[in-house]
Amino acid sequence: MNLIITFFIKLRKLFFSNVLNSIISLIIILILFSIFFNIFGWLIFNANWKVVTSNLPLYAFGSFPANQQWRPATWIISLLTLSMLTLLGPEWKWLRKNLLLAWISTVPFGLYLLYGGLGLLPITSRHWGGLTLTILLTLCSSLLSLPFGIVLALCRQSSFPLVKKLSAIYIDSMRAIPLISVLFFGQLLIPLFLPVGIEIDRVWRAVFAFTLFVSAYIAEDIRGGLQSIPSTQIEAANSLGLNKYQIIKFILIPQALRIALPALTNQSIGLFQNTSLMAILGLVELLGIGRSILANPEFIGQYIEVYIWLACLYWFVCTIMAVLARHLEKRMLINQAIV
Amino acid sequence: MEPIVIAKNITKSYTKGLRALDNVSLTVNQGKVLVVMGPSGSGKSTLIRTFNGLESFDQGELNVLGIKINSTHDERKIQKIRRKVGMVFQQFNLFPHLSILENITLAPINVQKRRQREANEYGMYLLNQMGIDSHAKKYPNQLSGGEQQRVAIARALALKPKLLLFDEPTSALDPERINEVLDAMRRLAQQGMTMVVVTHEIGFAKDVSDQVLFMDSGKVIETSTPDIFFSNAKHERSRKFLNQLDKH
Amino acid sequence: MKRNRKIFFQLGIFIIFITLIAILINNLTINLLRTGIGFNFNWLLKPASFSLAEHPLPYSASDSYAWALFIGWMNSLKVIVSSLVLSSLVGTLIGFARTSKNSLLGLISAGYITIIRQTPLLLQLMFWYFVGFLGLKDNISIHIKNLFKLSNQGIELPGLTLSSEFSALLFGLSIFTSAYIAEVIRGGILSVSRGQWEAFRSLGLSERKGLFFIIIPQALPAIIPGLTSQYLNLAKNSTLAIAVGYSDIYAINDTIINQTGRAIECFLILLISFLLLNLVITNFMELINRIIIKPIKHN
Ligand SMILES: Nc1ncnc2c1ncn2[C@@H]1O[C@H](COP(=O)(O)OP(=O)(O)O)[C@@H](O)[C@H]1O
Ligand SMILES: [Mg+2]
Repeated sequence: MNLIITFFIKLRKLFFSNVLNSIISLIIILILFSIFFNIFGWLIFNANWKVVTSNLPLYAFGSFPANQQWRPATWIISLLTLSMLTLLGPEWKWLRKNLLLAWISTVPFGLYLLYGGLGLLPITSRHWGGLTLTILLTLCSSLLSLPFGIVLALCRQSSFPLVKKLSAIYIDSMRAIPLISVLFFGQLLIPLFLPVGIEIDRVWRAVFAFTLFVSAYIAEDIRGGLQSIPSTQIEAANSLGLNKYQIIKFILIPQALRIALPALTNQSIGLFQNTSLMAILGLVELLGIGRSILANPEFIGQYIEVYIWLACLYWFVCTIMAVLARHLEKRMLINQAIV
Repeated sequence: MEPIVIAKNITKSYTKGLRALDNVSLTVNQGKVLVVMGPSGSGKSTLIRTFNGLESFDQGELNVLGIKINSTHDERKIQKIRRKVGMVFQQFNLFPHLSILENITLAPINVQKRRQREANEYGMYLLNQMGIDSHAKKYPNQLSGGEQQRVAIARALALKPKLLLFDEPTSALDPERINEVLDAMRRLAQQGMTMVVVTHEIGFAKDVSDQVLFMDSGKVIETSTPDIFFSNAKHERSRKFLNQLDKH
Repeated sequence: MKRNRKIFFQLGIFIIFITLIAILINNLTINLLRTGIGFNFNWLLKPASFSLAEHPLPYSASDSYAWALFIGWMNSLKVIVSSLVLSSLVGTLIGFARTSKNSLLGLISAGYITIIRQTPLLLQLMFWYFVGFLGLKDNISIHIKNLFKLSNQGIELPGLTLSSEFSALLFGLSIFTSAYIAEVIRGGILSVSRGQWEAFRSLGLSERKGLFFIIIPQALPAIIPGLTSQYLNLAKNSTLAIAVGYSDIYAINDTIINQTGRAIECFLILLISFLLLNLVITNFMELINRIIIKPIKHN
């Protein structure tokens, strides 16, 4: 009883503290109610969720052969498990120490499961699709762009004028052009730059293009981190006799990465969303699958259901990523005196 | 007695015409403690930072532990010096992303190529000496200023240096924390460590130092034993400075 | 000695770089020769022979590719500028709502921001286009007196007709960008120290006056750089027009590539277009910076 009363008092304080506030709150609540009733009514009574429920494997795995779908399923489940483990902060020390390694090894593990070989039925990347492909694109591109971005950032800070200029040109022009043109470059133009006879498949061309694009952004984030490290840190390292490369490796990069962490995690969340652009460039990742299902005469015109479902999926994964990111930032902050 | 630092006519200007160091000469012998005093901006930091090559200079010659450097600022020689000279800064300058023990073992492992275990053991020994071995696993921001500065001393000692440089090691500390750092430095002096200390702590200078060097506007005004300097300084400017210090 | 090493090192890098470029160009030439396309810009003056649904200037299929590209440019500018205005307005409103004392308002704007920011823009654009406009049945239209009419033909305002493609793009881009602008505005307002709020309150200034005369002027220096980068993003994001069939610069380049196979040339054109656009936006914001911020700082 007491609890309810305090709840109401709190509610009053929050929403009805003065006349104007109360009026605003009342109007908003009324509008919200009417919107919610309409939407929920529609979602429950009018929407036809068959377009979602009968295609669940498609959304998850694309056209991966049905009897092999346990492979991408295993991968996604292992990713979810790892996310949970990361969030719960495992007690066992060795696991905590190897968490980063575990995250990195999800990529080769996933590739093995998807490609097959070594005892598994080989499956070409043409059959990859859905959420699996979206996640694969995100993870591979993130993993590749990080080292690439670090190198670019260091080059841009380098004392060699030529190196500095070249990387500055690369970074600035990459950041000036739209992602879709880079992805387009990846799909249509990369084959033109390769020697006759050598071909890279679509998925890897996409990963390559994403890497080219994202690493320019990452480079700028890391450069910001590098610039905010006080010069006294370098002096201290110098006075200990560390050489230039040791200072970069032990002092500058670790600190720059910690400072840039929030920006970097935002980049990878952005990357996850942007993999959807591949839907207009011929891959059937999550959005692409949605489009191809909508093109099926059986489900034609059911845009709302499909789009709402896809939005929920994207939103859900993004939220997981954001929560993981915030968790990571908090843990890093403990070790950090100056930011 | 073996000289550890010999500076001959060192001159340096950051901006043209303004000399941060003006014809400075001095000698520090093995096992001795030199205290450098002088008003702010007089070039104390610049001077001791030339000793381990953090600053270059324009004229003169410097001999640190038998390694001679001059205005060319030869990186390789400076690197050699830095392996034998430790430095402690006013703002501690610990590495915030490394634990206390990692701060200390970083250089031994990577510069001297010691084994991790050996470096850890020696690091723990040093922390023990400084009375902070219970903090080994913590991170710098979890420690008080006095504790951080003692970590910084341990870090400087980890390379087993022949010379220690201190640039106002207690100026950034709360008054009640100053003594724990000064005590650690006293013990080092008793163990025979050669030290150059920039400080305004008169008590420390009186007890510990063998010589006091007084600077103003980049020039060495006088070099005396602490007895003479604090009771009967030769120069008008030194006396004025000491008077001002007393008032604070 | 040391300087020499530095120069040699750079020379080495330069040679490697040039070699790499040379190999790539060599491959490209071989490939272009093999497909018989070659590399030139003569085609720009030939008739485009495709029609465009939307063209702010006169255009017909017999006009040249160059003119078609220019029309694409105009279309891009049209949607960028109008989304820029709309998203700034909406974004500012939501940014204020997010910092307002009314918690319900804050809660709703927070919800708006997470929904918009955590779903892909492309999905949102498709939603607005296929559901918001094309989804309307032929006979359904929403009228507000004679001022505003919304149907699957687009939006009609007195003296102005907006196609459904343009409207969907405008809507989608503006709503998406507004969520980011709202965060920029909020960040700017929060960057002003609490003491400033207390100071104007203690002077007896009203909340609204204090906000406009004390807080916002101080928040602007933190807001302008954030806004600039959001506007640049908006310009880049406008290329997703192709997903809703609006003929912007990217879509027209895409059409031309499909028609002529001139991928390299079109890619270069696109690149230069965007470098120019970036220059325009950054200079424009720099100008705003100079007009608005500088006088504030000098006071
Ligand atoms: N990095 C620098 N650039 C330019 N001038 C400097 C720099 N460091 C010190 N100076 C100048 O050199 C003089 C000596 O400074 P410093 O050695 O720091 O004095 P102290 O340590 O005795 O306070 C001062 O006038 C100071 O302004
Ligand atoms: Mg100083």
